[in-house]
Amino acid sequence: MEWKQRHVLDLDTWKREELHYILEQTSSMDELLDRPIKKVPALRGKLVVNLFFEPSTRTRVSFELAEKFLSADVVNWSASGSSIGKGETLRDTAWTLEAMGADAVVIRHGAVGAADYLARKLKKSVVFNGGDGAHSHPTQALLDLYTAWKKIGSLERKKIVMIGDVLHSRVARSDIIGFSKMGSRVVLSGPPTLMPRSVDALGATYDPDPRSAVKGADIIYLLRIQRERQDEGMFPSLDEYHQIFGANESLLKLAGADTIVMHPGPVNRGVEIASNVADGSQSMILGQVRSGVALRMALLFVCLGGVRQ
Amino acid sequence: MKILFRNGLLFDGRTLSGGKTDVLAEDGVISRIGTGLDDNGANEIYDLSDLIISPGFIDLHCHLRDPGQEWREDLLSGSRAGAAGGFSTLVCMPNTDPPVDNAALIRYLLEKGEECDGSRVVPAGCLSRERAGNNLAEMGKMAIAGAVLFTDDGSPVSNTNLLRLALQYSSRLGVRIMEHPEDRSLTLGAQVNDGICSTISGLKGWPSSAEASDIFRGASLSMDTGVPIHFTHVSTKESMNAMRISKASGCTVTCDVTPHHLCLVENMVISGGYDGVFKVNPPLRSVQDVDALWEGIRDGTVDAIATDHAPYHMDEKDLPFQESAFGIASLECAVAAILHEWKRRKDLCTLEKLLSLFTSGPASLLPEKWRTLGVIAEGSPADLTVIDPDFERVVDVSKWESKARSTPWNGRTLKGWPVMTVVRGKVAYKMPDHLSRVK
Ligand SMILES: [Zn+2]
Repeated sequence: MEWKQRHVLDLDTWKREELHYILEQTSSMDELLDRPIKKVPALRGKLVVNLFFEPSTRTRVSFELAEKFLSADVVNWSASGSSIGKGETLRDTAWTLEAMGADAVVIRHGAVGAADYLARKLKKSVVFNGGDGAHSHPTQALLDLYTAWKKIGSLERKKIVMIGDVLHSRVARSDIIGFSKMGSRVVLSGPPTLMPRSVDALGATYDPDPRSAVKGADIIYLLRIQRERQDEGMFPSLDEYHQIFGANESLLKLAGADTIVMHPGPVNRGVEIASNVADGSQSMILGQVRSGVALRMALLFVCLGGVRQ
Repeated sequence: MKILFRNGLLFDGRTLSGGKTDVLAEDGVISRIGTGLDDNGANEIYDLSDLIISPGFIDLHCHLRDPGQEWREDLLSGSRAGAAGGFSTLVCMPNTDPPVDNAALIRYLLEKGEECDGSRVVPAGCLSRERAGNNLAEMGKMAIAGAVLFTDDGSPVSNTNLLRLALQYSSRLGVRIMEHPEDRSLTLGAQVNDGICSTISGLKGWPSSAEASDIFRGASLSMDTGVPIHFTHVSTKESMNAMRISKASGCTVTCDVTPHHLCLVENMVISGGYDGVFKVNPPLRSVQDVDALWEGIRDGTVDAIATDHAPYHMDEKDLPFQESAFGIASLECAVAAILHEWKRRKDLCTLEKLLSLFTSGPASLLPEKWRTLGVIAEGSPADLTVIDPDFERVVDVSKWESKARSTPWNGRTLKGWPVMTVVRGKVAYKMPDHLSRVK
């Protein structure tokens, strides 16, 4: 198929065929990861800059491995805090990167719309959104789709139950779009104070009780609870959260033996997920990590016009 | 100095007459209104056939950034922008640096305003000293110096006791209190409307209740003290209901709405790719909210349209959405945006009603001496706005008199424009190659 997405900013503009195409490409990259020598020359001579304004070891390392396995030249440009705090504006950073000849820029930024902004400012480089504020995290969603697809096959008419802090989660926003486009039904659960106002605008439904929500679920997807949400008064205590909304064995039993458990990491054991669930046989958490590298390889390869060998 | 305007369709501040009317302005005052007026001795004569001649438009709320933030705007650029946008009078907000919280700064603005060749500029003063929300500013001295409103705009008066004292204290001054309705405990960190936009974007939501609850609080204080209060840039359906309920229960409350809240919706933040040009306080709202504001215009709940023109330097706006400054610059296309949207909404209210919200509506909220600005009558000031309801033009922000270089309307074609602005009996703006000057 002819690839039309120039940047990867969010999945809202993607069609189901495009998602499928990337899943299939990811599958071939996944096989590559089993080989003794993982490196291929697909992106030799291409310069990829990882521009990280927020600390994120997992996403950065995953991108970096993907870039290196494809033989791209990699520069890690880390900057802490906002572009204002750093003294240089994101616009100037963007133009600097382009002047240096970056073919692609992976950006992780705390501000919503930072990737869109960068894409508006860059004339030639391809922008990959590595997460912008609570807005979007498309590569996480794609790796989640791949993980689920690989494990349970077609995602059509599957039920995904997402539990936790949807309000502040870019993972949730992108995953809801991704799973919905694949034909799945997404049910959200968690405290009402951590739900966005117009759940239906996301194409999802809300069930405040996780015990009823998980019935018949094909996937239980747990979202990370940040401690600061308790300090902000959005729920009374982590302990209460775990007791009511945490994923433990009894919740998993209500769902079923074939239900898979996913989490974007890093995991807060004893808060959103009990250790025996995180490490149990239904958990896909480590599979997600591996999928992340393969997916990012596929995405870089397709968007940078790499040559199939 | 005599200027004769021939054959215009006269809107006198309340009613729009069908026939052609001549208006003669003499030394800054309207001296004659009639048909077939003698042009003897007129220095300039304009033919206004098919155009509407109206009292000069009044903007109750704009930020001219003077003193102290002149890289964003100053009195001269703001005044010229105002005239180009069809406004003959601008009320400039006191959230400057330093804030306008004393009589000396009121006098500075009035004096500097006299020297500007665009709109007439009249200043609002701070309600609280240093706009800090703790103690009353010297409202008495500022009223004597010529302040036309008192407001801490940019911020609400969060201290309820202070707002009550301000209402009581200002009661004998004849200068109205204007509240920027916002409960800050509900908007901390908020960026966009709490609804579809916050849900999809992940940006923190700004609930409608943050505005409506402040309106109910202010209305209650107005009832308690018997002193009028004005709410500016009211933006939601719930706020409109709060205004309606308060008015019906006898509170002397009034409100204005902005062109951006009447013409733009929250979804534009998303469809615009999180461009900071759509970022404003209060935020762009839902389609239902916009409809409710127009309904408020139709049923008389809205008392004025005010721009809240908030110019910034591009370096403060051209940033990722979350880092961009709150504010929309609109002075030079606000009237056109409203006329365009009004037409799009076909007969939702009469044109008379709409024009009154730029003229007699805002004039009635100013101190007594300024109220004649809102009418065309023999003896009233020769401040006039001429409208061509059918003229179409593309908004080009790069050519603005204002220092602002971004606006949500940039590049959009709008139908219905002010084509001439007269201030103190002089032509302060005339759209190039448009009106026929007979003499
Ligand atoms: Zn305000």
